[in-house]
Amino acid sequence: MVGNRRTYPARGDRRVHITYRPETLREALSLMKESGKEKRVKPFAGGTDLMVRHRGWHGTTSGFPSDILFLDRIDELKCCGFYDKEYHIGAACTLAEVEQDDRAPSILKEAITLMAAPALRNRGTLAGNICNASPAGDTLPPLFILDARITLIRQGGSRTIPIEDFITGPGETVLGDDELLAEIRIPITEYTHLCYRKVGTRKANALSKLSFAALAGIEGGEIRDIRIALGAVAPRIVRDREIEASLQGKAFDEIDLRGTLEAYGKLICPIDDQRSTAAYRKQVALNLIENFITRDIREDIQSKE
Amino acid sequence: MKVRFSLNGKEISVDVDSLRRLLDVIREDLGLTAIKEGCGEGECGACSVLIDGKIVNSCLVPIAQVGGAQVLTPEGLKGTPRGKCIVDGFTEAGSVQCGFCTPGMLMAAEAILTKNPNPTEAEIREGLSGNLCRCTGYDMIVRGIEIAAEKGEGLW
Amino acid sequence: MKDIQKAVPRVDARGKAEGTTAYLADLRMEGMLHGKFFRSTRARARIVSIRKPELPAGYYIIDKDDVPGENVVAMIENDWPAFVDREVNYLGEIISLVVGPDREEIVRIHDSIEVEYEELEPAFSLEEASALKGGPIHGKDNLFADYFISKGTPDEAFRKAARIIEDTCDTGLQEHIYIEPQGMLGWWEDDRVVLKGSLQCPYYVKHAAQEVLGCDDEGIRVIQSTTGGAFGGKEDYPEVIGAAIAVAVNRIKKPVRIVFDRTEDISFTCKRHPSRIRFRTAVDEKGGILGMDIDIHLSGGAYETYSDVVLQRTMFTATGVYDIPSSRVRGRAWATNMVPSGAFRGFGAPQALFGIETHMNHIARELKVDPLEYKSRYFLQKGAATVTNGRIYEDVLLPEMTRQIREMSNYKRKYDEYSKSFGRGIGVAFALHGCGFTGDGEQRLIKAVVRLVKREDEKIEILVSNVEMGQGLLTTYRKIVSKVLGVPLEMIIYENPDTARVPDSGPTAASRSIMVVGYLLQEAAKELKQRWDDESSFEVEKHFKMPPHTSWNQDTLQGDAYPSYGWGVVAVEVEVDPVTFEVETKGIWAVHDVGVPIDERVMEGQVTGGVIQALGYGSLEKLELKDGRFYQNTMTDYMIPTSLDFPKVEGSFVENPYPYGPFGAKGGGELVFDSAAPAFSAAVEQAIGKPISRIPVIPEDIMEVLS
Repeated sequence: MVGNRRTYPARGDRRVHITYRPETLREALSLMKESGKEKRVKPFAGGTDLMVRHRGWHGTTSGFPSDILFLDRIDELKCCGFYDKEYHIGAACTLAEVEQDDRAPSILKEAITLMAAPALRNRGTLAGNICNASPAGDTLPPLFILDARITLIRQGGSRTIPIEDFITGPGETVLGDDELLAEIRIPITEYTHLCYRKVGTRKANALSKLSFAALAGIEGGEIRDIRIALGAVAPRIVRDREIEASLQGKAFDEIDLRGTLEAYGKLICPIDDQRSTAAYRKQVALNLIENFITRDIREDIQSKE
Repeated sequence: MKVRFSLNGKEISVDVDSLRRLLDVIREDLGLTAIKEGCGEGECGACSVLIDGKIVNSCLVPIAQVGGAQVLTPEGLKGTPRGKCIVDGFTEAGSVQCGFCTPGMLMAAEAILTKNPNPTEAEIREGLSGNLCRCTGYDMIVRGIEIAAEKGEGLW
Repeated sequence: MKDIQKAVPRVDARGKAEGTTAYLADLRMEGMLHGKFFRSTRARARIVSIRKPELPAGYYIIDKDDVPGENVVAMIENDWPAFVDREVNYLGEIISLVVGPDREEIVRIHDSIEVEYEELEPAFSLEEASALKGGPIHGKDNLFADYFISKGTPDEAFRKAARIIEDTCDTGLQEHIYIEPQGMLGWWEDDRVVLKGSLQCPYYVKHAAQEVLGCDDEGIRVIQSTTGGAFGGKEDYPEVIGAAIAVAVNRIKKPVRIVFDRTEDISFTCKRHPSRIRFRTAVDEKGGILGMDIDIHLSGGAYETYSDVVLQRTMFTATGVYDIPSSRVRGRAWATNMVPSGAFRGFGAPQALFGIETHMNHIARELKVDPLEYKSRYFLQKGAATVTNGRIYEDVLLPEMTRQIREMSNYKRKYDEYSKSFGRGIGVAFALHGCGFTGDGEQRLIKAVVRLVKREDEKIEILVSNVEMGQGLLTTYRKIVSKVLGVPLEMIIYENPDTARVPDSGPTAASRSIMVVGYLLQEAAKELKQRWDDESSFEVEKHFKMPPHTSWNQDTLQGDAYPSYGWGVVAVEVEVDPVTFEVETKGIWAVHDVGVPIDERVMEGQVTGGVIQALGYGSLEKLELKDGRFYQNTMTDYMIPTSLDFPKVEGSFVENPYPYGPFGAKGGGELVFDSAAPAFSAAVEQAIGKPISRIPVIPEDIMEVLS
């Protein structure tokens, strides 16, 4: 029977998967180095995306194209906490661990709670959500407005870069073939107003049609700091520092709301897909920006005056 | 690949493809069929089990990652005082209709009550949000867990 | 409350909750093989050639050439081939079945089959179907059915009309999402094929398997496995799987099991018929309705399945709970190059009720009247003529139900308050649901037979072909028999039906299981009780008879389309987010008349489940066709409600015993699906101050309506 297998055109022989589950970062990095340009080994944190993407017919494992490096046992990647005025999240920390940590930024926790049901939060990781680099990744807009940085590590070196520079397109990052995402660093941010909105296809456990994160620091009726990020409305997360800078230092009656929305409108170029329409995504994205500036902030300030 | 883990309190070892889903190992290789495959993509929760006390979708867990862990399925839970209390609550409240989602709901209920022995309706609904049911509209499942929480005082 | 209503613990609850109850995928047999369908990748084409790989020993590709009998899936019309012969009419049509012991190997064989197609031009939409794009798919005109009924003097009504109010209402596809995917197991035993599967209608599957095998009544046996939800989705498609497995087992003589992955299930099983219904209503100067003209179009997919009868139910429900003096209803069911539409809880009625309820709201809106008040003027009453010129023979409790729903939902205060500003709304919708098969179908086609057996050990066994699929029959049938006999529930035996043991009491469908079959069981139990001491063991058999008050003419579609009706009213309150157009449901209230509920909690479960499923239909469950393929074909993309999407359903029942139902019970399983979607859309209409005439009502559409 086995001999017969080659008598018809098969799509590659049945491969036996090799998986690695090291306990130290050193071992993991050495595997990544060996894997190198051939990308023989795929890092695997929670697997909530990979297991779906590569699932085969029930009861089969034929869908997986590569060998797997599990990160879940590496203690060095499981730390969560504050040091050097930054909140650090190890690549192997689950979403549930971040969500349940009192020290984690509240907007990130909110995004995680709305992102998926408890069972998925117990498996999925922030690092995985970032490396997927999906424009619809729910944790990305909060990470963008928090100026999160990503530490990448390879045998013999590491680098830390802003999340905006890490993700280059849908599913694309600057992660080197021999690199691992080691941790996410979030600086302490002060703000007076914060808003996170996930517009999903339903209330729970749904992928986003679009998502919105914003914060502002208001002092004496003036905008000291404002940051806005949008997910699933363009190939990459939309955050524009120039527009933000144009709003800074202004009092509310000085804001050119129409001009601001027009400027964002140029950056928002969503698609039609199975979850929503481009027209809806664009309109609601602009509505959310307008709502944040006019209602969340201005009306709040006026009510306090 | 050989993987050792604890299943319902018993140490076991399986020798299977390291990427085989925990769901398939439990249902097909070990013959424990209480958990079900409803979607294979982590959406429906019919395959819910607890790993080290945390609820997960066993369709998304490769067996290699289970090495050294404690896995609890409905077979292990049903005979315990907690398991009996939830099953009683489900029976009393009419939480069971077609029953295909129910073993997963049992595991979700255990996770909810472990986290909070006196959950509010909103907390129960949040805890069930990854377990889909098409028959009941959820009201009677929520009620079943409320009953379990009332009657099972001190169990969690 | 009558004694029968008092809730008892469901007999199947414990085993299901503990996970000891076995479903189809939990069953294994020695030497069992797996089967995977090989399906067309074109929506409309002719097959030029198929290249099959050379097969390893023990593997098979089963196709049309293996069919010993007729190569059809026998339903009403035998138009659906069991395996594609030459023409492909929808994307996913079954070309062959790959069978073998190892699933990885099956996938490899499956993936190496090559088909050369000659592509033809498909017709997907109603417009394309009626324009016969690419030539007719079915017959000469693409019509599975085309009917017309008339009541009163509609021509005169429109002649006299001061104004005519029009609407076009659309409803979308819906997928059942029973949590247990489709599955069936077949094997060879005692020189015949045995099929065991997750299904609603054992005798339908038997009939289909008999046709492909060309065997006699003894050549095939069908057993129901514990069924993890069905909702109509396991009324038709199990025949498709059953026919294929029967052919495979007949050839291989080994056990073969097919269990669908969710994506295969969503992509290729039957869906609820999409509809477009045009309403024209003749109104006099005072706003009174003189007559209605209703034009119904259903999209039936590539093969007929039950489209003909679904259409009839849509037509016979077209004027809803209203006594419209004159009406014309035309209905057409069209063939398209889509997965065949089939049975789904409600069976054509929800489409009609969304239409009529929406249209009545719009008339009231035009006339600037509170829609609930306006609708109440037209309620059917006992003795009134139905749309098919039959009669309403029962008391109609709608006024009392309306009073209750007003009180429960605090309707008046909310309606008045929400009329003044944007953002909140409350909507109410009414429904009636004809119980049992349409027309004289029970007598002409089904001819239900039930048996009750008194055994030596004094236990009583129920022998019927109706199945438990979540709706509670294992408990309610036992309750009916045990109450009549005055014996404990534990003395009654009722197992998953096996056609080798049970008579054909008909399908588990059409809200007939309690009212029709339950009544026969009650009658059988009465006789058994009378004869109890005569013999130590004996059998009682009962045959269906039409209730004496009904009459029907199938040729003219005139008379009593149904012997009795379930009645319902649902109120829904919503809030619309002005920024994102998302809708939050704030409250749900429901009042139903199902005669007398056989078990209050079982019926409550039907209400909460049915209402939430209908709210999914009305608000979330978008299913689009793109190049012949469903765009939302995973559970990630096809959205059914979670525990967080809707609040509690507050419900109640009014009692209205029906003399030809057990303990006065009527049907209720479908009725509970009928009202919530139109109530939801009515609430959204009020919240946004604009009319809506399409479900699901999704934020994208709300935005469009508002701009």
